[in-house]
Amino acid sequence: MDFTLTEQQEFFKKVIVDTVDKMIVPKAQEIDEKDEFPWDLWKEFTALGYLGLRYPEEIGGMNADKIMCMTFYEEITRGSVGFAQSVIMNILMGTYFIYRFGNDSIKERCLYPAMRGEKIATICFTEDQSGSDLGATRTTAVKDGNGWRINGTKMWITNGPICDFCTVLATTDPSKGLKALNFFLVEKGTPGFSSGQVLNKLGCRGTVTGELVFDNVWIPDENFLGDELGKGVIYVGEILDEVRLMTAAMALGIAKGAYKEGLEFARKRVAFGQPIGNYQLIREKFAEMDTLMNAARLMIYYGAWMMENNMDVRTLAAEAKMFATEVCLKVVDEVTRIYGANAFAHEYTPQRYFRDARFLLYGGGTHEVLKDFIGRNILGKL
Amino acid sequence: MGKDICVFIECKEGKIRKTSFELLTKGRELTDKLLSNLLAVLIGDNVINLAEDIRPYEEKVIIIDGEVYKDYRWDTYTDALEFITKKYSPFLIIGASTITGKDLFPRLTARIGAAFISDATGIEIIDGELKVKKPIYGGKIISWVSPKSTDKVIITFRPNSFSIEKGNRTGEVIEEKINAVPDKRMHLVNITKGQSEKVDLQEADFIICGGRGMKDPENFKILEEIADIIGARVGASRAVVDSKWRDYEDQIGKSGKTVSPKLYIGCGVSGALHHTMSMDTSKVVVAINKDPNALIFQYADYGIVDDLFNVLPALKEELMAAKKEG
Amino acid sequence: MNILVFVKQVADTEARILIKSDNKSLEIENKYNLNFFDEFAVEEAIRLKTKLKESKIIVCTCGGKKAIEALRTAIAMGADQAYLIDNTDMDTEDPLITAKILAGFAKKEGFDIILCGRQAIDDENGAIGPMVAEFLNIPHISAIMKLDVKDEKHMIVERDLEGARQTFEVELPALFTTQKGINEPRVPLITGVMKAMKANIPILDPLTLGFQKEELNNGASKIGVLFYETPKARPPVKIIDGETPQDKAKKLVKLLKEEAKVL
Repeated sequence: MDFTLTEQQEFFKKVIVDTVDKMIVPKAQEIDEKDEFPWDLWKEFTALGYLGLRYPEEIGGMNADKIMCMTFYEEITRGSVGFAQSVIMNILMGTYFIYRFGNDSIKERCLYPAMRGEKIATICFTEDQSGSDLGATRTTAVKDGNGWRINGTKMWITNGPICDFCTVLATTDPSKGLKALNFFLVEKGTPGFSSGQVLNKLGCRGTVTGELVFDNVWIPDENFLGDELGKGVIYVGEILDEVRLMTAAMALGIAKGAYKEGLEFARKRVAFGQPIGNYQLIREKFAEMDTLMNAARLMIYYGAWMMENNMDVRTLAAEAKMFATEVCLKVVDEVTRIYGANAFAHEYTPQRYFRDARFLLYGGGTHEVLKDFIGRNILGKL
Repeated sequence: MGKDICVFIECKEGKIRKTSFELLTKGRELTDKLLSNLLAVLIGDNVINLAEDIRPYEEKVIIIDGEVYKDYRWDTYTDALEFITKKYSPFLIIGASTITGKDLFPRLTARIGAAFISDATGIEIIDGELKVKKPIYGGKIISWVSPKSTDKVIITFRPNSFSIEKGNRTGEVIEEKINAVPDKRMHLVNITKGQSEKVDLQEADFIICGGRGMKDPENFKILEEIADIIGARVGASRAVVDSKWRDYEDQIGKSGKTVSPKLYIGCGVSGALHHTMSMDTSKVVVAINKDPNALIFQYADYGIVDDLFNVLPALKEELMAAKKEG
Repeated sequence: MNILVFVKQVADTEARILIKSDNKSLEIENKYNLNFFDEFAVEEAIRLKTKLKESKIIVCTCGGKKAIEALRTAIAMGADQAYLIDNTDMDTEDPLITAKILAGFAKKEGFDIILCGRQAIDDENGAIGPMVAEFLNIPHISAIMKLDVKDEKHMIVERDLEGARQTFEVELPALFTTQKGINEPRVPLITGVMKAMKANIPILDPLTLGFQKEELNNGASKIGVLFYETPKARPPVKIIDGETPQDKAKKLVKLLKEEAKVL
């Protein structure tokens, strides 16, 4: 057992912490208030090259190990969830299947520009009637000549309304459920592809989330992302654990951001003649929060370590996502209590963390679905 | 080495700087204790007439006059001071922690191999031992430092560290001729004078500082007006300077200047650490901010929680009235 | 051309600092950064490199092993090579010793230009630059706001001296200390970060720079810390109450005159 980060990992963490503090933290409130995609920040930040975090150096990536990825997800979310969501979409889900299955020309057109921040990527899983239940996907892909014809509407798509290309989950045979799910690439400008309603969200403001409409969209065969038909769900499995751990790291990031604000406030705010951090009931809150956050961090890092060592991390990743999110909800709540009435004012930050935290309940799987999944992994079918 | 103390006198715009009088006052107090002599070294071009101003403070005024000393340069000034230390053997040389002092004294230290303590705010002599007070880590910690031997010691002090009391000595004026040769490797091409009528921020007795809460560069006008009434200098927080509302030379903070005036008035200053660490040695601090939770109140003696733009005009009126009363 | 940059790793301004029970040592929270003013020096070196043919940026610090992180930051920004001079067993109070070591390093490595921040934000000495220049017998200009290349042998620099802007032409080799405002230090690109992570940073024993042990270790220092104390806390703020801003202003002026006696 070795819990220390390597000198390299420590250094990477230091750099990303500094970068987030310098570039993102000062803009977080504004991003939240305006609720518009922060194009300037996007250009400035993505120019640094972080969008290639997970990809090999040969194609301009960083080939970061999973511990570093988790550190990155956590820290950028600490800065601004609204911004982090878009960044992480380009880093992970929005480009993974292109990287994995795209041919050279697709990679040139989509993957590399997305790694440079010149194109915005997204993935379309969810529909208005299906989220975690992928088998209920109603968007269809039907063979048509040298390509496919796609019909359907996707909902809750991060970056959707501003994306340059998207990876769409569609069924090639609605009667076969999970076994007929496949991924297809659809690029902006393809006839029939448009964006619909933009959601007005409680939190994660700044990320543009909304509806994508596929109205008889025809794409060529090369846009089918996979080795063979019907393996979409298996491919999802390749990144699902990382997505869950990533969501856990995001939860920890929000918690850490809120916690830091709370800590500063407890040190400085004076009540009854002394800083409120001197009072036991406030100290108890910090003891509790710190304990929970440490526990969540251990789970996330443990999961990342397991992934690095090619171990089966399915159960733990789901547990980590669930636990870290609950920790996050607890922390943002406690911080609003420490802050007193000020937490209720939009001028201060605690309300932002409080709202943002709610999102993580749903992203990466609801806790009801995750618990069922974990229970099934433990007990099997009796 | 002897027991004499030497004060390096700084001039600005043909006048002796306030901080030099502070050092002379402190130097006299120390030499009184040590039963030794206080020397003042005044270097410059045509500075002989300034000697009168400082004679009451010390035993000897050493004047090094010459065109070569017109503008401060470390090369000529280090040569001059090196000569003085050799000839007069003071055990302690004190100067101000100004831009000049920060440039000159480290160089001199390395030249003569002295013990060096910079940016100090206090000094005591107990049983012949020097104890020097120096804030470190942005004033979070006070370090008491002592030179290991009292052979050659150089100490620089922050302006406004000591009060000024005119003495009643009649220092002997000694003129020294030193042929300092400017270093040929550096050549002063040009000097552009700034707004010289302003008091140096570090030396100002009163500072009225504007923060982001001032909202607009135009609003600094009222700060200037208040400053004029009480003879204050307007300062600014980093946010203000970064937004280009005020010049960098007005900036108080970690990345700007460290000040300790008699009175500091912060207007719409939030009180971020990088600011407070550079002003919390001010004698009296007033904070005006509409946010009762602004950190600046932790560092203030008096606070007004209210809208700046209502308080400042009222404050201007009150100060004007107070001034008339005398 | 060799551009040397001397840097220091310092405690973050927000790091908690406690005085240990002996009152003679400090416990510093593990939050360190490349010194604020040194970032300008590194940035300026990188910009200078683009203007000079075949130049190389070598960054060096005198510090503990932990300071390697600050050196990596400099490499991530764009420095070519870095060295740590391990001062673990040395007296670190006296800037004169540090300056002597850094000058020793400069002599050994060779240099045309030396850059460093105008002061460290922890001890606030601001002594290293001019001291190193004196040991190397080269000119220095401190707190520069602008650095331009005149030719391979001469630099044009500007600095503010007590309200006046001075412009100097300086012959190389020379040392310059950097002031805020000279540039905007860059945020490292990921390619730089990767290079920095892999960089091999040699750790030098100061004794290999031609010094005797007595010159550097305990006892060599000409100054010593007697003790540390925390600054006296200001009494709690008096919030001035009043019906109107006029009332408050009136009360404030009265207090400043009669209680604080500053007006």
